[in-house]
Amino acid sequence: MKECKGIPVSEGIGIGKAKFVTKPKFEIKKKNISEEEVDSELERFNTNLENVLQEMDYLIQNFSHSKDNQDILHTHKMILTDPEFIAKIEKMISQELMSLEQAIKKHFTDIIAIFNNMENQYYADRSSDYEDVAQRFLKHSMNLKGLDFSKIDKNSIIFVDKISPSEVTRAYECEAQGIVLREGSKNSHSAIIARSMGLPMVVCLGHHDNISENEMVILDGRKGKIFANPDEKTLQKYSKLQEEETTRQKQLQKLKDKEAITKDGQKVGLMSNIEIPEEIVQVIQSNSAGIGLFRTEFLFIDRKNLPTEDEQYKIYKKIAEKISPHPLIIRTIDVGGDKLSSILNIEHELNPNLGCRGIRLSFENIPIFKTQLKAILRANTTGNIKIMFPMVSCVQEVINAKKIIEECKQELEEVNNIEIGAMVEIPSAALNADIIAKECDFLSIGTNDLIQYTLAVDRDNQTVAKYYKPTHPSVLQLIKLTAEKAHKHQVKVAVCGEMASQEEYVGLLLGLGVDELSVSPAKVLSIKEKIRNADIKEQQKRAEKILQMSTAEEVMDFLEKE
Amino acid sequence: MIKTKVTIKNKLGMHARPATMLVKAASKYRSDFKIIKGDMEINGKSIMGVMTLAAEQGSELELVADGVDEEHLIKEITTMFENKFDEE
Repeated sequence: MKECKGIPVSEGIGIGKAKFVTKPKFEIKKKNISEEEVDSELERFNTNLENVLQEMDYLIQNFSHSKDNQDILHTHKMILTDPEFIAKIEKMISQELMSLEQAIKKHFTDIIAIFNNMENQYYADRSSDYEDVAQRFLKHSMNLKGLDFSKIDKNSIIFVDKISPSEVTRAYECEAQGIVLREGSKNSHSAIIARSMGLPMVVCLGHHDNISENEMVILDGRKGKIFANPDEKTLQKYSKLQEEETTRQKQLQKLKDKEAITKDGQKVGLMSNIEIPEEIVQVIQSNSAGIGLFRTEFLFIDRKNLPTEDEQYKIYKKIAEKISPHPLIIRTIDVGGDKLSSILNIEHELNPNLGCRGIRLSFENIPIFKTQLKAILRANTTGNIKIMFPMVSCVQEVINAKKIIEECKQELEEVNNIEIGAMVEIPSAALNADIIAKECDFLSIGTNDLIQYTLAVDRDNQTVAKYYKPTHPSVLQLIKLTAEKAHKHQVKVAVCGEMASQEEYVGLLLGLGVDELSVSPAKVLSIKEKIRNADIKEQQKRAEKILQMSTAEEVMDFLEKE
Repeated sequence: MIKTKVTIKNKLGMHARPATMLVKAASKYRSDFKIIKGDMEINGKSIMGVMTLAAEQGSELELVADGVDEEHLIKEITTMFENKFDEE
C-alpha cells in the first residue's frame, strides 16, 4: 500500500481506479494536403482569420481596461492582417500543399526564430507577441477543447494537473468517485464547485507520481489522503466510512421538506450559492429557499470572448424562473483583471487583491457593467431577482451603481423594480454598515474576503495560509457590528462566504445576529440540521462570551468542546 | 518614386507601438512602400517586416514610396519620425 498526503479540498470518500487525464496534445495531425484540397483549405484560412479578427475587435471595443492592453491587441490584429503574412500562408497552402495549421506553425516558428536571434533584448522579447497570435489562431482553427474525459466512469478517480470549474461538472456528470489535482487550492472556483456537488477532491503536489494508471485508489477528501493499492484493512475501513456517509445523506434527506427554523421558533433564510447554472439542479434537490449568491464569473473567465446581453439574459431568466418564487441574488462581475487575462492579455497588477476587481472593474468598464445590468433587469420578469455589488468599500460606490441601474432602466422598456444589496467584505464596509444599509435593501457578508482583508492574508498563498482564521476575534466583531448596524435600518444581513457552509460556525453566526445563510448546495441539509438544533437566545449569550476571547485558537477550542 | 532618409530619434527605437503606428499610416495609401536598413529591405505595410528591422535609436532608414499618392505617404511617415512617434 502506498500512502500520500495532500491538501483536503472537498469532503467525501472515493474508491476506484486511478485514471490520468490530460489536455489533448497540441499536435498538428494533418501536415499536408492534396491539390484538390487547396481551395477548401484557403477558404478555411479566410474563415478562421475572420473569426479571430472579430474576436479581437470585440475585445478591443468592450475592454477599455487599459490602454497598453488595447495597444497590444491592435498590434496582434495587425500581425494577422499583415499582407506579407497572408500572402505567405496562401503560398504555403497553394504551392507547398501545407495544411493550414502546418503553414501557420511554420510561419510563426520562422518569425519567432528571427526575434530570438536578435541581440537587443527588447526585440528578442517580441517573439512572445507572435507566440500569442499563433496560439490564438491555432486554438480557433483546431477548435481545441479542455480535458479528455472519454475513459472516465463511475469507478474512476481522476488524476489531473489542474481542472476548470466546468470540467469538475463534467467529472460529476461522469459520476467519477473523486479528483486528485496537482495544482489548486481550497478556495479556487473548481474546489468550490466540487464541494457544491459533494465530489471528493484533494490537491497533492506531485506525490502521486508513483501511482499508475488503473491502480486501485482510495481518496479521503476530508483528511486529504490518498491510498494506492490499499491493504484489506484500509479498504474495509473506507468502504464502511463510505457506506456511513451514504446513510447520513439519506437521513439528511428527511430534513428536505422541513423548515429552517431554530428551536425557539426563529426562521432563518437558508439559501444556496451557485457558480454555474448547472448547479441549479443541486439547489432544487436540496430545497433551498432561494439563491443567496449567484456568482457570474463563469460568464467571463475560461472563455474566448465576452458574453452578450442576450446570452446573459437567457441564463439569468432561466435560473430565476426555476427558483421562483424564491429570490435569486445575482452578484455583478467579481473578478480581478488577472482572471480575465485569457481573453484580454491584461498586464499583471502588482497586488491584484487590492487592485481593479469587483465593482471597481465594473466602474472602469461601464459598457460591460451596463450589458450585465440590462441583462439582469430584462430577465427579472418573475420579479424575484435582486442585484448585489461586490467589493464595496464606501457608500458612494452603491450610490453610483444605483445611478447606472437607473440609466439602464431608462434605456430599456418597462422593467420590474429590483432590490439591490451590497457585499460586506472590506472592513470599511463593515464599519460603515449603517451608512451603506441606508442605500440598500439587504447586505451580505462575504467572509472569505472579509477575513483576507481584515487579517491581510492571501488565502491562496500556502506560506501564509495559516494566518487565515475565520474565528479571529476581529472578524467576529466585524460580523456582529455589520448585523447591529444594518438592523438599525431594518435591513437583513446574510452570510454567503464559506463560513456559512461550515457546520461548526452556524450557531455562532446566528448568535452574532446574522439573519440568513447562503451555503454550498451540498451543505444545505446539514446546515439546516444545525439551525434546527440551535436556540437563538442561547447562541446570543454564547456569542457574547466568545467575543470576550483574545485569540482565534481560543474561540476554536471553545467551539470544539461544545 | 520618392526616396528619403530618416533617423530614429525616439529612445526605445522601432518597438511594437511605433511599428503599429507606422504600418497603420502607410496602409492607408495606395503606393508601394519599402523601408531599407543596411542590406535589409522590407514591405513598410507589413508589421512583421517593420518589427524584424529591429531598428534602434540612431539607426538610419531609407524610405521608398512608389505610386499615385507617394508624396503624401512620405510626408506623413517622415513627420512621424520627426515627432518621435509621440514618445521621448
